[in-house]
Amino acid sequence: MTSHEIIQLVTGFIGSLCFGILFNLHGWRLAVSALGGLFTWGLFLLFSFFIKNDPLCYFIVAAIISFYSEIMARVLKTPATPIITTSLVPLIPGSSLYYTMSYAFHSNWIQFWEKAVSTLKLASALALGILCVTAMVQLFFKILARKNKKCSK
Amino acid sequence: MNELLDCGLDIGEQMLICGGEVHRVEDSLKRIFHALGASRIDVFIITSSMIVTIHTANGEAFTQTRRITDTGIDFERLHRLNALSRKICCTKMTAADIKRELSRIMACKSYPFWLECICHAAIAGCFTLFFGGGIIEAAVSLAAGMIVRLLVILSDRTVKNKIFSKFIASFAATALAWIAFRLCIIPDVNKVIIGSIMALLPGIGLTNALRDLLVGDSIAGLLRTIEACITALAIAAGYFILAMIAGGIAV
Repeated sequence: MTSHEIIQLVTGFIGSLCFGILFNLHGWRLAVSALGGLFTWGLFLLFSFFIKNDPLCYFIVAAIISFYSEIMARVLKTPATPIITTSLVPLIPGSSLYYTMSYAFHSNWIQFWEKAVSTLKLASALALGILCVTAMVQLFFKILARKNKKCSK
Repeated sequence: MNELLDCGLDIGEQMLICGGEVHRVEDSLKRIFHALGASRIDVFIITSSMIVTIHTANGEAFTQTRRITDTGIDFERLHRLNALSRKICCTKMTAADIKRELSRIMACKSYPFWLECICHAAIAGCFTLFFGGGIIEAAVSLAAGMIVRLLVILSDRTVKNKIFSKFIASFAATALAWIAFRLCIIPDVNKVIIGSIMALLPGIGLTNALRDLLVGDSIAGLLRTIEACITALAIAAGYFILAMIAGGIAV
């Protein structure tokens, strides 16, 4: 691990923690979300070491963290969205969004399109990761509910 | 029954304001009114409006609507409202009981003002470091984050327009970065602005939009997506206008 990666892990954790406080999360929910931020970047660094494809890494990490959030939400008896949003903060493509804007301002259109497409790819990978897990979890609970109904009949 | 409907709508309204997904609120309201003894429940919610009609067992129908104007993310309140709606479903509660619980939830405190300012500043500073900025850039970002937060709160209290707040915030962050750059405190403006932008991006809006879209609440999901896109555009506009005034910021 390079020193920059350690800085990223620490700042990712603090960033998630601060977002959690801004969203008014308390106690265990805050702790779980902030740790989620740490896991998010840790997992991203791990996967990007093996897979040299950032959008794919984003997708995998977003899926894993969504799964983690759904489990934690059930354990803590709370909605899952707060934990997901707070945990995935380090993956928000703020940097590439800024450079997209900056290139547009300087009429640097070739680089603009390149950055715009990569931002879009990252954002949709993030969204898809969340969606897949959410869909699976909902399906799982629907099936569970139906089974329970059958048993009670 | 009208009173109960009123209480239920209060819960739903607060859930929406605090940042709950439309689908969650609809689901909660259905469960609540079912537990309170309605025979048929029709709920229609989008991000800015709620319409609920319930039929009682003896054939009467009650309708109430709510217009939702403000939003303020507060996940602690959302958590408690969620717990309250579960409680209503499990135990028989009267309208007075629900009202009492609700006012207790509304009274629960958020973090103090100064801590919110510090957190906002810390987010800006952290993400400047995160995206490869130096210590001095992070310090400038920290200061900018604090000032931006104060400006946003000021604009929220006076203008009360979320989009405008984001615009002002992005404008101010770019301006501060540019001033620091001109005073030769920082080598370039990019990392400072990135840090400040991270604290402004509509992350929750987009997550909720996606979750709503997925479960089939297309109208609500689309509305939220558009809202998030416009917010992002407002941030870009703030940057563009200052960059034009400043005559081009070095990439």
